[in-house]
Amino acid sequence: MEAPLGHEDGKEKVPRTVREMLTEMKDTSEVVVDLAYAALVFESQEMAEEVQHLEHRMDTLLYNIRIKAMLSARTRRDAEQLAGLLQVASSAEAISNAAGSIVDLLRHESDKRPFISLVLKEAEEKIKSLTISEKSDMANRTIQEMGVESETGMRIIAMKRGKRWMYDPEGTCRLKAGDLLIVRGTENGFEVLRSYSAGERHWPQYPYDGAI
Amino acid sequence: MDELEQKLLEVKDTSELMVDLAYSSLLYNNREIAQEVMELEEYTDELTSSIQKEAIRRAMSDGDASRAFVTIKLIESLEGICDAASGIAGVVMKNVEPHPVIKMSIRESEVTIATAMVIEGSDLSDKTLGESRLASQSGMWVVAIKRGRKYIYGPDEDTVVLVGDTLIVRGPKDGEEFFKDLASGKTRLS
Repeated sequence: MEAPLGHEDGKEKVPRTVREMLTEMKDTSEVVVDLAYAALVFESQEMAEEVQHLEHRMDTLLYNIRIKAMLSARTRRDAEQLAGLLQVASSAEAISNAAGSIVDLLRHESDKRPFISLVLKEAEEKIKSLTISEKSDMANRTIQEMGVESETGMRIIAMKRGKRWMYDPEGTCRLKAGDLLIVRGTENGFEVLRSYSAGERHWPQYPYDGAI
Repeated sequence: MDELEQKLLEVKDTSELMVDLAYSSLLYNNREIAQEVMELEEYTDELTSSIQKEAIRRAMSDGDASRAFVTIKLIESLEGICDAASGIAGVVMKNVEPHPVIKMSIRESEVTIATAMVIEGSDLSDKTLGESRLASQSGMWVVAIKRGRKYIYGPDEDTVVLVGDTLIVRGPKDGEEFFKDLASGKTRLS
Protein backbone atom coordinates (compact mmCIF):
# COMPACT_ATOMS: atom_id res chain seq x y z
CA MET A 1 0.00 0.00 0.00
CA GLU A 2 1.11 3.54 -0.68
CA ALA A 3 2.39 5.21 2.44
CA PRO A 4 0.29 8.22 3.23
CA LEU A 5 3.23 10.17 4.57
CA GLY A 6 5.08 11.19 1.46
CA HIS A 7 5.78 14.76 2.48
CA GLU A 8 9.53 14.29 2.38
CA ASP A 9 9.55 14.76 -1.36
CA GLY A 10 7.71 18.04 -0.94
CA LYS A 11 4.41 17.14 -2.54
CA GLU A 12 1.48 15.68 -0.81
CA LYS A 13 -1.39 14.79 -2.98
CA VAL A 14 -4.87 14.41 -1.68
CA PRO A 15 -6.26 11.07 -2.80
CA ARG A 16 -9.05 11.29 -5.35
CA THR A 17 -11.74 9.03 -4.02
CA VAL A 18 -13.69 9.12 -0.78
CA ARG A 19 -12.59 5.57 -0.16
CA GLU A 20 -8.88 6.41 -0.44
CA MET A 21 -9.30 9.47 1.73
CA LEU A 22 -11.15 7.60 4.44
CA THR A 23 -8.59 4.78 4.40
CA GLU A 24 -5.78 7.28 4.79
CA MET A 25 -7.63 9.03 7.60
CA LYS A 26 -8.18 5.79 9.46
CA ASP A 27 -4.53 4.77 9.07
CA THR A 28 -3.31 8.17 10.14
CA SER A 29 -5.59 8.32 13.15
CA GLU A 30 -3.96 5.15 14.44
CA VAL A 31 -0.32 5.91 13.81
CA VAL A 32 -0.58 9.52 14.96
CA VAL A 33 -1.53 8.50 18.50
CA ASP A 34 1.39 6.06 18.70
CA LEU A 35 3.72 8.76 17.44
CA ALA A 36 2.38 11.19 20.02
CA TYR A 37 3.10 8.77 22.85
CA ALA A 38 6.51 8.02 21.35
CA ALA A 39 7.28 11.75 21.21
CA LEU A 40 6.63 11.94 24.95
CA VAL A 41 8.47 8.74 25.85
CA PHE A 42 11.57 9.75 23.89
CA GLU A 43 11.19 13.49 24.49
CA SER A 44 11.41 14.00 20.75
CA GLN A 45 10.60 17.37 19.27
CA GLU A 46 11.01 15.91 15.78
CA MET A 47 8.31 13.32 16.37
CA ALA A 48 6.10 16.00 17.86
CA GLU A 49 6.49 18.00 14.65
CA GLU A 50 5.47 14.99 12.61
CA VAL A 51 2.35 14.67 14.75
CA GLN A 52 1.53 18.31 14.08
CA HIS A 53 2.15 17.78 10.40
CA LEU A 54 -0.25 14.82 10.37
CA GLU A 55 -2.80 16.89 12.23
CA HIS A 56 -2.74 19.44 9.40
CA ARG A 57 -2.89 16.72 6.80
CA MET A 58 -6.03 15.38 8.47
CA ASP A 59 -7.64 18.82 8.29
CA THR A 60 -7.06 18.90 4.56
CA LEU A 61 -8.40 15.39 4.11
CA LEU A 62 -11.50 16.12 6.15
CA TYR A 63 -12.22 19.23 4.13
CA ASN A 64 -11.83 17.35 0.86
CA ILE A 65 -13.83 14.32 1.91
CA ARG A 66 -16.72 16.57 2.97
CA ILE A 67 -16.84 18.19 -0.42
CA LYS A 68 -16.64 14.86 -2.25
CA ALA A 69 -19.33 13.36 -0.07
CA MET A 70 -21.71 16.26 -0.62
CA LEU A 71 -21.23 16.11 -4.34
CA SER A 72 -21.99 12.41 -4.45
CA ALA A 73 -25.29 12.39 -2.57
CA ARG A 74 -28.19 11.85 -4.91
CA THR A 75 -30.91 10.48 -2.70
CA ARG A 76 -31.94 10.84 0.91
CA ARG A 77 -30.50 7.41 1.63
CA ASP A 78 -27.18 8.44 0.07
CA ALA A 79 -27.16 11.51 2.26
CA GLU A 80 -27.88 9.49 5.40
CA GLN A 81 -25.15 7.01 4.67
CA LEU A 82 -22.69 9.74 3.75
CA ALA A 83 -23.52 11.62 6.96
CA GLY A 84 -22.37 8.53 8.84
CA LEU A 85 -19.25 8.29 6.72
CA LEU A 86 -18.43 11.92 7.45
CA GLN A 87 -18.94 11.27 11.13
CA VAL A 88 -16.28 8.56 10.95
CA ALA A 89 -13.97 10.92 9.08
CA SER A 90 -14.42 13.74 11.57
CA SER A 91 -13.89 11.34 14.47
CA ALA A 92 -10.61 10.22 12.89
CA GLU A 93 -9.66 13.87 12.58
CA ALA A 94 -10.62 14.43 16.23
CA ILE A 95 -8.24 11.62 17.21
CA SER A 96 -5.40 13.38 15.42
CA ASN A 97 -6.29 16.59 17.26
CA ALA A 98 -6.04 14.71 20.53
CA ALA A 99 -2.62 13.43 19.44
CA GLY A 100 -1.66 17.04 18.70
CA SER A 101 -2.61 18.12 22.20
CA ILE A 102 -0.67 15.20 23.66
CA VAL A 103 2.54 16.41 22.02
CA ASP A 104 1.83 19.96 23.18
CA LEU A 105 2.70 18.65 26.63
CA LEU A 106 6.34 18.57 25.53
CA ARG A 107 6.34 22.35 25.95
CA HIS A 108 6.12 21.90 29.69
CA GLU A 109 9.22 21.21 31.70
CA SER A 110 9.91 17.52 31.88
CA ASP A 111 9.88 17.43 35.66
CA LYS A 112 6.19 18.29 35.51
CA ARG A 113 5.39 15.17 33.59
CA PRO A 114 7.46 12.27 34.93
CA PHE A 115 4.28 10.28 35.48
CA ILE A 116 3.52 10.19 31.77
CA SER A 117 6.45 7.92 30.92
CA LEU A 118 5.61 5.82 33.91
CA VAL A 119 2.03 5.36 32.77
CA LEU A 120 3.08 4.61 29.19
CA LYS A 121 5.57 2.00 30.40
CA GLU A 122 2.79 0.13 32.15
CA ALA A 123 0.34 0.27 29.25
CA GLU A 124 -0.85 -2.95 27.63
CA GLU A 125 0.87 -2.05 24.40
CA LYS A 126 4.18 -0.36 24.86
CA ILE A 127 6.35 1.93 22.82
CA LYS A 128 10.00 0.94 22.69
CA SER A 129 13.09 1.41 20.61
CA LEU A 130 15.78 -0.89 19.30
CA THR A 131 18.69 -0.79 16.87
CA ILE A 132 19.41 -3.19 14.02
CA SER A 133 22.79 -4.76 14.74
CA GLU A 134 25.45 -5.57 12.14
CA LYS A 135 24.91 -9.22 13.05
CA SER A 136 21.16 -9.13 12.52
CA ASP A 137 19.67 -10.84 9.50
CA MET A 138 16.94 -8.20 9.49
CA ALA A 139 19.45 -5.90 7.80
CA ASN A 140 19.02 -5.56 4.03
CA ARG A 141 15.51 -6.99 4.09
CA THR A 142 12.25 -5.15 3.63
CA ILE A 143 9.62 -4.80 6.34
CA GLN A 144 7.08 -6.49 4.10
CA GLU A 145 9.31 -9.42 3.15
CA MET A 146 9.82 -10.22 6.81
CA GLY A 147 6.25 -9.43 7.80
CA VAL A 148 7.61 -7.77 10.93
CA GLU A 149 4.23 -7.11 12.53
CA SER A 150 2.63 -10.45 11.74
CA GLU A 151 5.78 -12.25 12.89
CA THR A 152 6.29 -10.42 16.17
CA GLY A 153 3.19 -8.33 16.81
CA MET A 154 5.40 -5.24 16.85
CA ARG A 155 4.51 -2.41 14.56
CA ILE A 156 7.27 -0.11 13.36
CA ILE A 157 5.96 3.41 13.83
CA ALA A 158 9.14 5.31 13.10
CA MET A 159 12.69 4.72 11.99
CA LYS A 160 15.84 6.80 12.30
CA ARG A 161 18.67 6.34 9.84
CA GLY A 162 21.62 8.59 10.53
CA LYS A 163 20.01 11.90 11.30
CA ARG A 164 16.94 11.32 9.24
CA TRP A 165 13.60 10.18 10.61
CA MET A 166 11.05 8.24 8.65
CA TYR A 167 7.56 7.87 10.03
CA ASP A 168 5.21 4.96 9.50
CA PRO A 169 7.71 3.39 7.05
CA GLU A 170 6.32 1.56 4.05
CA GLY A 171 6.51 -2.18 3.62
CA THR A 172 8.99 -1.70 0.81
CA CYS A 173 11.41 0.04 3.17
CA ARG A 174 14.65 -1.96 3.43
CA LEU A 175 16.21 -1.99 6.87
CA LYS A 176 19.92 -1.40 7.39
CA ALA A 177 22.33 -2.13 10.19
CA GLY A 178 22.37 0.84 12.53
CA ASP A 179 18.71 1.78 11.93
CA LEU A 180 16.91 2.83 15.07
CA LEU A 181 13.32 1.58 15.18
CA ILE A 182 10.50 2.87 17.34
CA VAL A 183 8.04 0.04 17.75
CA ARG A 184 4.72 -0.56 19.42
CA GLY A 185 3.35 -3.80 20.83
CA THR A 186 3.45 -6.24 23.71
CA GLU A 187 6.37 -6.91 26.02
CA ASN A 188 7.01 -10.44 24.79
CA GLY A 189 6.65 -9.39 21.16
CA PHE A 190 9.31 -6.79 21.81
CA GLU A 191 11.63 -9.36 23.37
CA VAL A 192 11.31 -11.54 20.26
CA LEU A 193 11.94 -8.63 17.91
CA ARG A 194 14.83 -7.40 20.01
CA SER A 195 16.56 -10.78 19.82
CA TYR A 196 16.25 -10.76 16.00
CA SER A 197 17.48 -7.20 15.76
CA ALA A 198 20.46 -7.94 17.96
CA GLY A 199 21.35 -10.96 15.84
CA GLU A 200 20.83 -13.35 18.76
CA ARG A 201 18.28 -15.29 16.75
CA HIS A 202 17.72 -15.76 13.05
CA TRP A 203 14.64 -14.36 11.39
CA PRO A 204 12.42 -17.41 10.85
CA GLN A 205 12.31 -18.99 7.43
CA TYR A 206 9.21 -20.83 6.39
CA PRO A 207 9.04 -23.67 3.92
CA TYR A 208 7.12 -22.87 0.78
CA ASP A 209 3.47 -22.61 1.80
CA GLY A 210 2.23 -25.34 -0.48
CA ALA A 211 4.71 -27.79 0.99
CA ILE A 212 3.34 -27.77 4.53
CA MET B 1 2.17 3.97 40.32
CA ASP B 2 -0.21 5.83 42.57
CA GLU B 3 -3.97 5.84 42.24
CA LEU B 4 -4.08 8.79 39.88
CA GLU B 5 -1.53 7.20 37.57
CA GLN B 6 -3.44 3.93 37.66
CA LYS B 7 -6.55 5.77 36.53
CA LEU B 8 -4.67 7.55 33.74
CA LEU B 9 -3.37 4.20 32.56
CA GLU B 10 -6.87 2.76 32.66
CA VAL B 11 -8.20 5.59 30.48
CA LYS B 12 -5.28 5.23 28.05
CA ASP B 13 -5.76 1.47 27.61
CA THR B 14 -9.54 1.87 27.43
CA SER B 15 -9.25 4.61 24.79
CA GLU B 16 -7.42 2.16 22.53
CA LEU B 17 -9.89 -0.60 23.16
CA MET B 18 -12.73 1.79 22.36
CA VAL B 19 -11.24 2.76 18.99
CA ASP B 20 -10.74 -0.89 18.07
CA LEU B 21 -14.26 -1.80 19.19
CA ALA B 22 -15.70 1.19 17.36
CA TYR B 23 -14.16 0.15 14.05
CA SER B 24 -15.21 -3.46 14.69
CA SER B 25 -18.80 -2.40 15.33
CA LEU B 26 -18.79 -0.51 12.03
CA LEU B 27 -17.23 -3.29 10.02
CA TYR B 28 -19.78 -5.82 11.24
CA ASN B 29 -22.60 -3.30 11.67
CA ASN B 30 -22.91 -4.65 15.20
CA ARG B 31 -25.00 -2.60 17.62
CA GLU B 32 -24.05 -4.64 20.63
CA ILE B 33 -20.38 -3.76 20.25
CA ALA B 34 -21.28 -0.15 19.50
CA GLN B 35 -23.34 -0.11 22.69
CA GLU B 36 -20.31 -1.30 24.64
CA VAL B 37 -18.32 1.63 23.26
CA MET B 38 -21.02 3.98 24.55
CA GLU B 39 -20.85 2.38 27.97
CA LEU B 40 -17.07 2.59 28.06
CA GLU B 41 -17.43 6.23 27.16
CA GLU B 42 -19.49 6.82 30.29
CA TYR B 43 -16.96 4.92 32.33
CA THR B 44 -14.00 6.94 31.00
CA ASP B 45 -15.97 10.15 31.51
CA GLU B 46 -16.28 9.30 35.19
CA LEU B 47 -12.61 8.41 35.46
CA THR B 48 -11.68 11.65 33.70
CA SER B 49 -13.63 13.77 36.16
CA SER B 50 -12.18 11.97 39.11
CA ILE B 51 -8.62 12.39 37.76
CA GLN B 52 -9.20 16.08 37.19
CA LYS B 53 -10.54 16.58 40.69
CA GLU B 54 -7.69 14.64 42.21
CA ALA B 55 -5.13 16.69 40.24
CA ILE B 56 -6.67 19.90 41.55
CA ARG B 57 -6.79 18.55 45.09
CA ARG B 58 -3.10 17.71 44.92
CA ALA B 59 -2.19 21.11 43.52
CA MET B 60 -4.04 22.71 46.40
CA SER B 61 -1.98 20.79 48.89
CA ASP B 62 1.46 20.83 47.22
CA GLY B 63 1.07 24.06 45.22
CA ASP B 64 2.37 22.45 42.03
CA ALA B 65 -0.05 23.96 39.53
CA SER B 66 2.06 23.05 36.47
CA ARG B 67 1.95 19.40 37.26
CA ALA B 68 -1.79 19.48 37.77
CA PHE B 69 -2.13 21.37 34.51
CA VAL B 70 -0.17 18.72 32.60
CA THR B 71 -2.30 15.96 34.15
CA ILE B 72 -5.52 17.73 33.22
CA LYS B 73 -4.34 18.41 29.67
CA LEU B 74 -3.29 14.82 29.18
CA ILE B 75 -6.53 13.35 30.46
CA GLU B 76 -8.48 15.76 28.27
CA SER B 77 -6.64 14.48 25.22
CA LEU B 78 -7.25 10.87 26.17
CA GLU B 79 -10.90 11.64 26.74
CA GLY B 80 -10.92 13.25 23.28
CA ILE B 81 -9.90 9.92 21.80
CA CYS B 82 -12.66 8.16 23.75
CA ASP B 83 -15.21 10.69 22.48
CA ALA B 84 -14.03 10.15 18.93
CA ALA B 85 -14.42 6.40 19.36
CA SER B 86 -17.98 6.82 20.50
CA GLY B 87 -18.55 9.13 17.54
CA ILE B 88 -17.48 6.29 15.27
CA ALA B 89 -19.63 3.75 17.08
CA GLY B 90 -22.52 6.21 17.01
CA VAL B 91 -22.80 5.67 13.26
CA VAL B 92 -23.88 2.08 13.94
CA MET B 93 -26.54 3.19 16.40
CA LYS B 94 -28.39 5.11 13.70
CA ASN B 95 -30.94 3.06 11.86
CA VAL B 96 -29.05 3.34 8.62
CA GLU B 97 -26.78 0.69 7.19
CA PRO B 98 -23.24 2.18 7.28
CA HIS B 99 -21.97 3.35 3.91
CA PRO B 100 -20.26 0.44 2.09
CA VAL B 101 -17.14 2.55 1.58
CA ILE B 102 -16.58 2.55 5.36
CA LYS B 103 -16.23 -1.23 5.38
CA MET B 104 -13.90 -1.13 2.41
CA SER B 105 -11.71 1.46 4.10
CA ILE B 106 -11.46 -0.57 7.28
CA ARG B 107 -10.59 -3.70 5.31
CA GLU B 108 -8.03 -1.87 3.19
CA SER B 109 -6.29 0.02 5.94
CA GLU B 110 -2.89 -0.94 7.32
CA VAL B 111 -4.52 -2.09 10.52
CA THR B 112 -7.45 -4.30 9.74
CA ILE B 113 -10.05 -6.20 11.73
CA ALA B 114 -10.88 -9.87 11.34
CA THR B 115 -12.85 -12.59 13.11
CA ALA B 116 -12.57 -16.34 13.36
CA MET B 117 -14.15 -19.07 15.43
CA VAL B 118 -11.89 -21.31 17.46
CA ILE B 119 -12.50 -24.89 16.37
CA GLU B 120 -11.84 -28.05 18.39
CA GLY B 121 -8.20 -29.00 18.04
CA SER B 122 -7.01 -25.44 17.50
CA ASP B 123 -3.82 -24.47 19.32
CA LEU B 124 -5.65 -21.44 20.65
CA SER B 125 -8.26 -23.40 22.59
CA ASP B 126 -8.07 -24.05 26.34
CA LYS B 127 -5.14 -21.67 26.67
CA THR B 128 -4.93 -18.17 27.98
CA LEU B 129 -4.07 -15.47 25.48
CA GLY B 130 -0.80 -15.08 27.38
CA GLU B 131 0.04 -18.75 26.88
CA SER B 132 -0.73 -18.86 23.18
CA ARG B 133 0.96 -15.47 22.69
CA LEU B 134 -1.38 -14.83 19.84
CA ALA B 135 -0.42 -11.15 19.60
CA SER B 136 3.30 -11.73 19.25
CA GLN B 137 2.88 -14.86 17.12
CA SER B 138 0.47 -13.47 14.56
CA GLY B 139 0.43 -9.72 15.10
CA MET B 140 -3.29 -9.99 15.79
CA TRP B 141 -4.52 -8.35 18.99
CA VAL B 142 -7.78 -9.68 20.46
CA VAL B 143 -10.28 -6.87 20.85
CA ALA B 144 -13.25 -8.97 21.93
CA ILE B 145 -14.37 -12.56 22.29
CA LYS B 146 -17.89 -13.69 21.54
CA ARG B 147 -18.80 -16.62 23.71
CA GLY B 148 -22.31 -17.91 23.17
CA ARG B 149 -24.42 -14.80 23.25
CA LYS B 150 -22.04 -12.84 25.42
CA TYR B 151 -19.04 -10.74 24.61
CA ILE B 152 -15.83 -10.39 26.55
CA TYR B 153 -14.46 -6.96 25.71
CA GLY B 154 -10.77 -6.21 25.93
CA PRO B 155 -9.64 -9.65 27.14
CA ASP B 156 -6.21 -9.79 28.78
CA GLU B 157 -3.39 -12.30 28.90
CA ASP B 158 -5.19 -14.30 31.59
CA THR B 159 -8.35 -14.76 29.53
CA VAL B 160 -8.84 -18.40 28.55
CA VAL B 161 -9.99 -19.06 24.98
CA LEU B 162 -12.51 -21.87 24.58
CA VAL B 163 -13.65 -23.98 21.66
CA GLY B 164 -16.54 -22.19 19.98
CA ASP B 165 -15.31 -18.71 20.90
CA THR B 166 -15.32 -16.17 18.11
CA LEU B 167 -12.33 -13.86 18.33
CA ILE B 168 -12.46 -10.34 16.97
CA VAL B 169 -8.91 -9.22 16.30
CA ARG B 170 -7.05 -6.17 15.06
CA GLY B 171 -3.74 -6.34 13.23
CA PRO B 172 -1.79 -6.32 9.97
CA LYS B 173 -3.43 -7.77 6.87
CA ASP B 174 -0.67 -10.32 6.39
CA GLY B 175 -1.34 -11.74 9.85
CA GLU B 176 -4.98 -12.47 9.10
CA GLU B 177 -4.59 -15.73 7.23
CA PHE B 178 -2.26 -17.23 9.80
CA PHE B 179 -4.66 -16.20 12.55
CA LYS B 180 -7.60 -17.83 10.79
CA ASP B 181 -5.60 -21.00 10.19
CA LEU B 182 -4.64 -21.09 13.85
CA ALA B 183 -8.25 -20.73 14.93
CA SER B 184 -9.38 -23.49 12.60
CA GLY B 185 -6.54 -25.79 13.61
CA LYS B 186 -5.12 -25.85 10.09
CA THR B 187 -1.84 -24.38 11.36
CA ARG B 188 -0.10 -24.97 14.66
CA LEU B 189 1.78 -22.57 16.88
CA SER B 190 5.52 -22.93 16.65
